[in-house]
Amino acid sequence: MTLFKRLYDWIDLRIGASEIVKKELTGYLLPRNINEWYSLGSVLLVIFALQVATGMLLMIYYIPDADKAFKSVTFIMNEVPFGWLIRLCHAVGSNLMIAVLLLHMLSTLIMNSYKSPRELNWVTGFILLTLAQGISLTGYLAPWSQLSFWATTVATNSASAIPVVGPYLVEFLRGGKLVGPATLGRFFAVHVAVLPVVIAAFIGFHLFLLKRTGVSTPPFGSIETDKRWKPESYSYQHHPGGIPFFPNYALQDATSITIYFAIFFAVVYFAPNLIFTPDAFVPANAFKTPPHIKPEWYFLANYQTLKIFPNELIGLTIQAVAMTLLALLPFLDRSPERHPLKRPLFLAGTIAGILVWLGLTIWGHYS
Amino acid sequence: MENEGRRKFLGACVAGVATCAAAAAAYPVYRYLSPIKGEQGAQKVVFAVAEVPDGEAKFFEYAGSSAVLVNSKAGLVALSAVCTHLGCIVQWEKDKQDFICPCHGGHYAADGTVTVGPPPKPLPKLPVVVAEGKITVG
Repeated sequence: MTLFKRLYDWIDLRIGASEIVKKELTGYLLPRNINEWYSLGSVLLVIFALQVATGMLLMIYYIPDADKAFKSVTFIMNEVPFGWLIRLCHAVGSNLMIAVLLLHMLSTLIMNSYKSPRELNWVTGFILLTLAQGISLTGYLAPWSQLSFWATTVATNSASAIPVVGPYLVEFLRGGKLVGPATLGRFFAVHVAVLPVVIAAFIGFHLFLLKRTGVSTPPFGSIETDKRWKPESYSYQHHPGGIPFFPNYALQDATSITIYFAIFFAVVYFAPNLIFTPDAFVPANAFKTPPHIKPEWYFLANYQTLKIFPNELIGLTIQAVAMTLLALLPFLDRSPERHPLKRPLFLAGTIAGILVWLGLTIWGHYS
Repeated sequence: MENEGRRKFLGACVAGVATCAAAAAAYPVYRYLSPIKGEQGAQKVVFAVAEVPDGEAKFFEYAGSSAVLVNSKAGLVALSAVCTHLGCIVQWEKDKQDFICPCHGGHYAADGTVTVGPPPKPLPKLPVVVAEGKITVG
């Protein structure tokens, strides 16, 4: 008997580990036609864990003080051994986290997995997307560069278009009339102490919902016997005759995570400047607005929408309506059909929405 | 049997790759957390002779630690100010012309030798040179 086996038996005797393994891993059956898109949730968990780990490491050297922040980031990049690696992992990771979140939501959208009884899974996922955007925005100010300073100025200023409370809201967000040391203090606190906890709580709730509803069956391939959800009583969606999570789907998760790391490290090592403009290497100057200041790529569509409409309130309202419609999609789309090809109107609407978003993003980039 | 052997081989390969990946991740983190070279403070400190009058002691940072220059009857001496017992910083008692460690009551003479208490060793001496009205430690 190997040492590992003896250790496992010792633990098993005390906490019934094999029962958990059977229930949650080898006996946890997934639909036979499950595809690789379902592994993006696991990829996102890894990304979040990596963001937390690198963020903790950065806090060792980073100084959240307007006079010292830029210097401390420069020190991390140039003086601390492997500081550049930790910082780039954090910065690139935040961008890829949004990208993978969008793909995760897109796959859920295309496969219509947001439908009953998974409305709450979709809504919590949507909230997680906005929280991830929030944590990226608050972290963006941390380096106190020209880019971060002015991008935050533009982003926080958007709130001024809200009638009545807008101007006060901007001042509240910034901790003053303009972006300044007070903004850095509150953004840093929100970035490291508030949002990570809230995100972790929502991830926990999202996973809890997944455990209670069961994994959805993809609408493609060999579909299991019709098991449409009936709103009479609670029922967990079992997949008898399905494939076990471990080792079968765990291997798919590992494959997707490996592919993610390949892309992630390719950007970190070979194209780190993909996410930095020259303004990111100049310390913040409150008296010098750099030309062509742009937000992060995932806010470019929002930025361009605000530019298209001369009235900022109309631009904001359109965005708010679009986001609300997307958040409430499971409650608006009541059709039980889940195959996108059998729903031409839905498919056309989805493709049009994606094209509009991509078009606005590209337009925003080149405008 | 053939499958069993292949499974073991693949398992060993996966474990090997995982170990390499863990080491590749751990090494940068270890280096990142290790004290940074060049951040250990000045290796040579210069004072004017007038800064350390007779019977006085001057505490200063030296090579990332605390040190003290004492000008007593025994002459000018530079010592580490870190108590050899449990690492507290010793304090100069001008009236008694000795050092006391407030943590556990260890006493050192002005030249760093232990007089009373738990310190196991004298305070380490640092190289000091006096020339042209300047004191150079280190």
